[in-house]
Amino acid sequence: MTHTNASASDYAVSTHGLCKRYGRDTALDQVGLRVPDGAVYVLVGVNGAGKSTLFKLLMNLERPDAGTAEVFGLDTGRAGSEVRAQVGYVPDRQDAPYRSMTSARLLRHAAAFYPKWDHAYADHLTHALGVPPQQRVGGLSKGETRRLQLVLALAHRPPLLLLDEPTDGLDPVVRRRALALLAEHLADAPTTVLMSTHHVHEVESLADHVGVLRDGRLVAQMTREELRRTVRSYQLEVPDGWAPGELHAVELRRSSAGRDVRCTLVGEEQQVTQRLTASGARVRQVSTLALEDAALAFLSEDAS
Amino acid sequence: MLVTLDSRDDRPLYLQIVDQVRRALLDGTLRAEDPLPSVRELAGELVVNPRTVSQAYRELEGEGVIYIRRGQGTFVAPNIHPDRRERRPLVRGVAERALIEARRNGLGVEELVTMIRELAAEDGGERSPSTTAVRSGEEGGAA
Repeated sequence: MTHTNASASDYAVSTHGLCKRYGRDTALDQVGLRVPDGAVYVLVGVNGAGKSTLFKLLMNLERPDAGTAEVFGLDTGRAGSEVRAQVGYVPDRQDAPYRSMTSARLLRHAAAFYPKWDHAYADHLTHALGVPPQQRVGGLSKGETRRLQLVLALAHRPPLLLLDEPTDGLDPVVRRRALALLAEHLADAPTTVLMSTHHVHEVESLADHVGVLRDGRLVAQMTREELRRTVRSYQLEVPDGWAPGELHAVELRRSSAGRDVRCTLVGEEQQVTQRLTASGARVRQVSTLALEDAALAFLSEDAS
Repeated sequence: MLVTLDSRDDRPLYLQIVDQVRRALLDGTLRAEDPLPSVRELAGELVVNPRTVSQAYRELEGEGVIYIRRGQGTFVAPNIHPDRRERRPLVRGVAERALIEARRNGLGVEELVTMIRELAAEDGGERSPSTTAVRSGEEGGAA
């Protein structure tokens, strides 16, 4: 890796007991995020789960109430500007200060900040994403602003990308183009990505790590493969009056029709199947889940 | 060669890419010394993690199916004999999936094999519809 000050840690991003409160609302509660170097880590969670707050703390735009955060071994609170120099950040909202500049002017302005700014690449991205160069930033639509933010984040080829809803406000064609550009970007240079998105299915084949935020707590964090292996959909044939019994604790979702029950369960398939069989159920089929369905299983209320 | 991924396929994405290259060799879409798309191109086209494409290419390289010419790209091996070499893993993959499905439905191997023979006999020994549909303009086939 080319970035400096890397610690012995294998994590590009790590947080320890990170807490953030706004008045009486807890935005983040004891979050221990671990993003391995080179990972494409997707953060899943409903609105208000704390995803944007987490990004802001990593960028040192907000201060935590407790806990610490490190980016490439640098404390984000003490070395905020050093951290930001190594990060391409797409924020959830548009920044106000540069509204009177044109897109082209803002890109030149940003280029002066980053020694590694790649002018040819910035031009390529600007064209590929269709950023209107002579439009004032304040007059850009939501989608155009997003495209400009993507160019600003990618063009200096930072070792870490923090992308908070990077395809928000983009139409489906541009969304796909933006993600294709991101895939190419990852092929060009080793880059770690931490991103949040409401369109989880779109990043299904880019993601290799997944974290699930629920009410400010990181309720699941694992590799894509582990998620695929340990969260599966089980189709069961159950005897009359069958109750899940001790499986209840791991049962995440259940729907039933007659004796057929379908539920999403967490655990190694062999062990889950043994427990199900012991409870009197017959396992008819086990199937893997799409990333979105597996992650969402951690967000639904336990079956009652 | 056109690679398409199936999100409903249970297998890891890199294996899907490996299988599609094998299939392309069998049906002649890919031939000896043909260039393959670069990792960057294929990652962008499929919107997949470039590591997935690299993993697929490493697997194929390890099997001697493709080779990497430094600075020039990835190519199909010169002495490729798709019939001998590629049919077996492809058949194995299809059989594995059928077997998993059979077990999940509580069916035995013999039942499955018998039914496959019966179905094939009903077809009158014709090529399966999906194969003929995909392979327009073929020259004799690999059977």
